[in-house]
Amino acid sequence: MKNKKKKLELTQPQILNLDDDFSLIKRFIDGDESTFNTLILRHKEKVRNIIYMTLNNHELVDDIAQEVFLTVYKNLMRFRFESQFTTWLYRITINKCKDYLRKMKIRSIFQSFKDSEEELGYSPSTDEADVSEIVREAIKKLPEKLRIPLLLKDIEGLSYQEIAESVQCEIGTVKSRIFRARESLKNILKPFEKELL
Amino acid sequence: MKNNIDRKYELLSAYVDNELSDLEIRKIEEDLKSSPDLRKKLDDFKKVKRITSSSVKIVKENPFFETRVAASIRIKEPFYLKFKKFYPLTAIITLSFIIMVILKYNPGIINNLVEKQKSNIAGFYKQNLKPLLYVADLTNEDIFNFAFYHKLPLDSKRQQYLYLSSNSKNGNYFEISSNRQKISDNNLNKFIKGLNLNNSQQKQVDSLLARYADNLQSQVLVNEKNIVAINPNIWNFNKALVADLVSFAAKVNHGKFQNIFPTGDYSLYPNAAMPQLVDKVNSASNDNYIFITPDTIFSDSFYFDKKKFKNDIKKFSNQITKMNDNFAFNFQLDSNLIKFNNFSSLGNNFKVYMDSNSFRINVPNAIVPQFPMRGFDSIASKLSKAGDLFRMFSFNFPEMNKGKNFYYKYFYSDSANGAKFKSFNFDSTFTFGNHKLDKLYGKNFKNYRFANPDSLNKLLKFFFSDSTAFNQKELQEEMLQVQRQLEEFQKQMQQFQKQIPNKSVTPKTVKQIEI
Repeated sequence: MKNKKKKLELTQPQILNLDDDFSLIKRFIDGDESTFNTLILRHKEKVRNIIYMTLNNHELVDDIAQEVFLTVYKNLMRFRFESQFTTWLYRITINKCKDYLRKMKIRSIFQSFKDSEEELGYSPSTDEADVSEIVREAIKKLPEKLRIPLLLKDIEGLSYQEIAESVQCEIGTVKSRIFRARESLKNILKPFEKELL
Repeated sequence: MKNNIDRKYELLSAYVDNELSDLEIRKIEEDLKSSPDLRKKLDDFKKVKRITSSSVKIVKENPFFETRVAASIRIKEPFYLKFKKFYPLTAIITLSFIIMVILKYNPGIINNLVEKQKSNIAGFYKQNLKPLLYVADLTNEDIFNFAFYHKLPLDSKRQQYLYLSSNSKNGNYFEISSNRQKISDNNLNKFIKGLNLNNSQQKQVDSLLARYADNLQSQVLVNEKNIVAINPNIWNFNKALVADLVSFAAKVNHGKFQNIFPTGDYSLYPNAAMPQLVDKVNSASNDNYIFITPDTIFSDSFYFDKKKFKNDIKKFSNQITKMNDNFAFNFQLDSNLIKFNNFSSLGNNFKVYMDSNSFRINVPNAIVPQFPMRGFDSIASKLSKAGDLFRMFSFNFPEMNKGKNFYYKYFYSDSANGAKFKSFNFDSTFTFGNHKLDKLYGKNFKNYRFANPDSLNKLLKFFFSDSTAFNQKELQEEMLQVQRQLEEFQKQMQQFQKQIPNKSVTPKTVKQIEI
């Protein structure tokens, strides 16, 4: 009984609040397309940051973010209000990033062996390299399935529940992946332990 | 143990993220108080989280981003782009539709294409086929041997032969291999001498054989591509020739005929005026041939214009003679096929058995035309027996007993000098398969004493490791039977020798076969 009341308390204010995502979406569905601009303004930086962190490439951020919001625009009329808008938005963002990475993987098959050797041969120089740069390179070396939950948690501050919905897996898996990501990161950064840790 | 520690560390990592329940928080905090390792691990996680959070550059804000998105929304997507993702599917559907339409209005197009290709290949193989008679320069002796030895030479140098046979187990089959019956020569002459034929009668035999030779021209064709085309009616020609020769022999000299065919039922040739069967068999010929090429066997129709060929020979006799001199037929199978002991040719139900020396092709019965004479099937088995008897006669013909190491006389009578002994049952010996026995004789025969079981054993061993793979089991059983009979025969001979008085006796009534 108590739980039911709590649920009502949580859900009702969301619908009634005119500024929240759900009310903006409802207005959009009702024909007020200007609300979509508000949604962009509200979430664009998070989306752009997730793309940047995932792909580690400045130049791609706006292109992929644009694709994300276009997809949202096309499908918003069918939004079912079953989960938070941000969860849906981040899922689209991560999927777009994954699509891009998949395309790159296919393309890399056709790249010369020499190029890939050069990429693999990267080794940061501690004397000159920026500390943040070292950490970024270390994060880049993490596998995709560990890197994304870690960044969504530590940079974007999403909850385990939100991450689970965004990457479409169980909360327990998210917990395990973040732990493994931290362990791996610590191992990668071991040579710079004194400077960093 | 490691899993427990990992789970604890996992909880510690979630503790740093403030993602644990109250109960889990209390539990982990208790553990932290008691464990310095856990406290160190907690510090590590906090440090990693701190450096991760602080190291990542936040991407520069783009104040025009929403304008850019709004503009891209306003730009209407071109019509063709909407369907871009459907392009592969559309292409497949269109192609399938086109194929369906083509097949609807031309249902036989694929079959026609396949058939066209097949006929192109078959056409290539069929080019320039000539009668074997012409290429191999067949003699009457060859035609005669075709009757009783079922063999025809494939080349003028007599290096390869075509053997025809049929039995109840394998049906009709033929083999191409080197000559394996080297001792069975001059058979026509033996036949003539055996029957004591005069010149006129000899001419009749020659005429009979010539008539068959003429008809056999179109039954076996060969060309320079090493193709052999065989008309399945050749089996009927073979039976008819045997029937005609036996009929002729019975008619021309019945007394001597008994010498050649001492056993068997002759009532099948009561009519001395039995017509030559060649015309009847010839009427059953069709244009279906079995083509044997070095890499395939197939059955297809082919019309051989005998008249045109004869005319061509007359017209271009000089050129053709030159061409014929250069044409050396030597049938060779694709060596890659030899490793397969037997295989079935695609779609034709031909069974092929082969080894490095020869190969045999079993021909489906349906391909061979029915013998065009009612009731001939009942005669066929008797004719087969007559063939066996002739081979036995030919083998024991006095001219053959010249070898120093081989002394064997065929006693027609079962008595010698008053002593009686069981006659050796040649019928059972020869019915097992004269080909195989002939082959035994043909192979370095002089080194073996026929009546000596030890030598015979060597001979058997030698042959069982030879190329008779496709008949080995059957042959082995039959040869063991022969061996047992020979051993018994040797014992009887030894017993007989003991019974003979010491002084030499000239038998008065020993009667050899009268030839």
